[in-house]
Amino acid sequence: MWALTTISGGIGTGLIGFYLGIGLTAVLRHFFGYDLFERDLSSAVGYVFGLFGWLMGIGMWGSWGREWFGLKTHGTAVKGWQRYFTWSTDHKVIGVQYLTTFVVVFLLAGLMAMLIRMELAHSGLQFFDNKQYNTILGLHGILMIAVAVAAVVGGLGNYVIPLIIGAEDMAFPRLNALSFWIVPPLSVLLLATPFLGGLETGWTSYPPLSVVTESGQTFWNLAIITFGFSSILGGVNFLVTIFFLRAPGMTWGKLPIFVWSMFVTAWLALLYTQGFFVALLMVTLDRIAGTSFFDAKEGGDPLLYQHVFWFYSHPAVYIMILPGLGIALEIIGHFSRKPLFAYRYAVGAFLGILGLAGVVWAHHMFTSGMPNYLHGPFLVMTELISIPTGLIFLSALGTLWMGKLNLKTPMLFAMAVIFNFANGGVTGIFLADVPTDIHLTDTYFVVAHFHYTIVGGEIFALFAGIYYWFPKITGKMYNEALGKLHFWWMFIGFNATFMVMHWPGIQGMNRRIADFPAGLDAVNLFVSISSFLLGASFLIFVFNVVRSLIWGRQAEDNPWAARTLEWQTTSPPPVENFLEPPHVVGHPYDYGVPGSVHGVFGGGIAAAPAGGGGAGGGGAGGG
Amino acid sequence: MTRHVISVVLLWLGLTAIGESLVFLDLFPTVGAAEAKDFDQIFRILLFMGIPVFSFAIAMLAYSMLAFKGTGQPDEAGPTYRGSGAIPKIWLAITGSLAALVMVYPGMTGLADLQFSRDGFGWGKTDAELVVQVTGQQFAWSYEFPQSGVSIPPVAGKELWLPENTRVKFEIHALDVLHSFWIPAFRMKIDAVPGRMTFFTVETEHLGYYKDDDSFRVQCAELCGLNHTTMFTAVRVVSREDFEKWTQDQPKTEKK
Repeated sequence: MWALTTISGGIGTGLIGFYLGIGLTAVLRHFFGYDLFERDLSSAVGYVFGLFGWLMGIGMWGSWGREWFGLKTHGTAVKGWQRYFTWSTDHKVIGVQYLTTFVVVFLLAGLMAMLIRMELAHSGLQFFDNKQYNTILGLHGILMIAVAVAAVVGGLGNYVIPLIIGAEDMAFPRLNALSFWIVPPLSVLLLATPFLGGLETGWTSYPPLSVVTESGQTFWNLAIITFGFSSILGGVNFLVTIFFLRAPGMTWGKLPIFVWSMFVTAWLALLYTQGFFVALLMVTLDRIAGTSFFDAKEGGDPLLYQHVFWFYSHPAVYIMILPGLGIALEIIGHFSRKPLFAYRYAVGAFLGILGLAGVVWAHHMFTSGMPNYLHGPFLVMTELISIPTGLIFLSALGTLWMGKLNLKTPMLFAMAVIFNFANGGVTGIFLADVPTDIHLTDTYFVVAHFHYTIVGGEIFALFAGIYYWFPKITGKMYNEALGKLHFWWMFIGFNATFMVMHWPGIQGMNRRIADFPAGLDAVNLFVSISSFLLGASFLIFVFNVVRSLIWGRQAEDNPWAARTLEWQTTSPPPVENFLEPPHVVGHPYDYGVPGSVHGVFGGGIAAAPAGGGGAGGGGAGGG
Repeated sequence: MTRHVISVVLLWLGLTAIGESLVFLDLFPTVGAAEAKDFDQIFRILLFMGIPVFSFAIAMLAYSMLAFKGTGQPDEAGPTYRGSGAIPKIWLAITGSLAALVMVYPGMTGLADLQFSRDGFGWGKTDAELVVQVTGQQFAWSYEFPQSGVSIPPVAGKELWLPENTRVKFEIHALDVLHSFWIPAFRMKIDAVPGRMTFFTVETEHLGYYKDDDSFRVQCAELCGLNHTTMFTAVRVVSREDFEKWTQDQPKTEKK
């Protein structure tokens, strides 16, 4: 059992590292005359050592670390399902590892949402006390943020990007494996926080509360800081891959739209993630090292955190939503059987959002007590974002117009993305305009709004992508009837939950509370019941996946008759992705254009240089 | 093609007409101050402008699903419109003007009615008939009326009395962590920040009492710890005479 050996090896070296860190801290503290053990500080050092130990044990030592000492590296040559439990550098394995991990996390965090709605079905406290409620709320928030950041980018991005651009692998395969294997320990740490003091501050962790709270805040900070690492490494990897590993002939103007969206996303992850990282590092230092970044009595400023935090966390919503919109456009293009409408404008829209993403953050802070002169500029910048976003709608709706729509499950999900995101966009205007935001911020109106954009936009796109690429990834076809049932059930449950949820917000129901005025009982009961309906829809999904994996019929290589490169190889693709190297000669979406082809295979064709090297540059030597 | 355009426009107009009925509904809590009226009006304006945008997306999606359904055959293809002509430019012009409109009115104009100084930390005029100093701490609010010396300690069950038809300025700060001072009936909110004095000013209008109408309450709207949920004060807006009487009956601290 290879899988068991590597995993338990990783856990073993991880534990050794953890206790080494605690021991080392104890020795140092002894010399400086402190108590040997201080919970937050000792565990923080232990965690850093333990993380390193885990990574080494899981396979980083063999395939990477040995090189640092002049030794010969060796990979793990495991076949079959067990390779998903080992340090693999194959982007397809890593993609599936990401996807499965985060679908599981999604279901867990979804269960927490069910617990929240259970409590909120009636005013007063029924099931939880305030501490349990806050912990569930904070965990639901941060786990879903992690899912939103990593499920599409790490899962579908990793699997699809090299295939769709005709590359053999990502540019840095070992970095890719590293960015995935960081995730399990931090997920365990996050899920353990209820037993390490709970969470008090919600996922935003505003100081001074996050500094003074006696909960498991430090552990939470450490987990998120490591997660930031993973995100930044992924960003670098995608950028280099898209820059240099495109198949010959795949010019920027012939790039599939999903690749464009991932390109912009990778820039955002690379440029902004350190904001969250640094903000939480400052909180951690205030907690364990006695600094006072946020203590007003010592000359610090609590608002500093919010500026740094939102400097990442607003671009983060584009990290979540842009790949989702990319998937939606991609699928709408292939399933409408006509060229993607206004392709260049859609690309411009993604780049426009990249440009504006970094200058809108303070719209989260309109009521934070920041100086008055900041509100106007941030209002204007925020409203400006609606212009590039509008172009994405133009592209989607224009592609549908007069198309020959193939209304399979992925297409239904992709169209729902456009529907939901239109709703989220319109309610966003109310929050971007200061006069309305003052009342609506920190209410359920905001909760409904961001669930429309992130769940309605991205999570629907995640499922669109899972159904779309399911035959490619697994080699099996999912059950279409169950897929459609899942779609309509989820779509109705989702809209019944969140469309209605705006109203209690306007009425004065604030966020992050376990109790609310009794006058809102009826509407909250309705929202809770709808949310249980929404939650139940995922059982159909899980059933469909399991059933199709076991009994599903063999999928063809290209069941959708799509033109992009990933469909021109076998399902599932071979380790090296393509048996013959692809060359790109035409646009990916030229359906109905006589004689047009996107990619051709084989070495015989003289390829036009594509601004990138050959497809073989990645290889095992990267990293 | 013309048939499709006419059909989708009709569908859009129909959906818009249905959607716009939301503008006439009373979606809001009780109006307790002039500022609340402004909020409700601006909300309605934005709803009025937003509904056609949303219903356009719905109309296009729904109509496409019904009218442009293909057979699912792999060799099938639609017309090869690329959208490189005038349509994206017209689209940009329309969405750009809409964004500019919302930005200026009701965005910047509304903001201009709320901010009277460049460097202040709050909403509304800085002078007022009645000043209330608000202090947030885990997990209760306390209030001082510097003009009369009345002081309401941070204990549960206390009420905040305010006179009707009066311009009241709340000066807000926090002792420990962030809180947010919010009265839904006034539609006004601003954070209470340690080390910083924020404020907002409202013109109270109608009588109102928490026990009859829970939008008359001070609610902490920024997660401030375990008992954040319970951090609120009942608000009672009374006639000026009653307020005067209440002021006299209250225990006083030293007069400033």
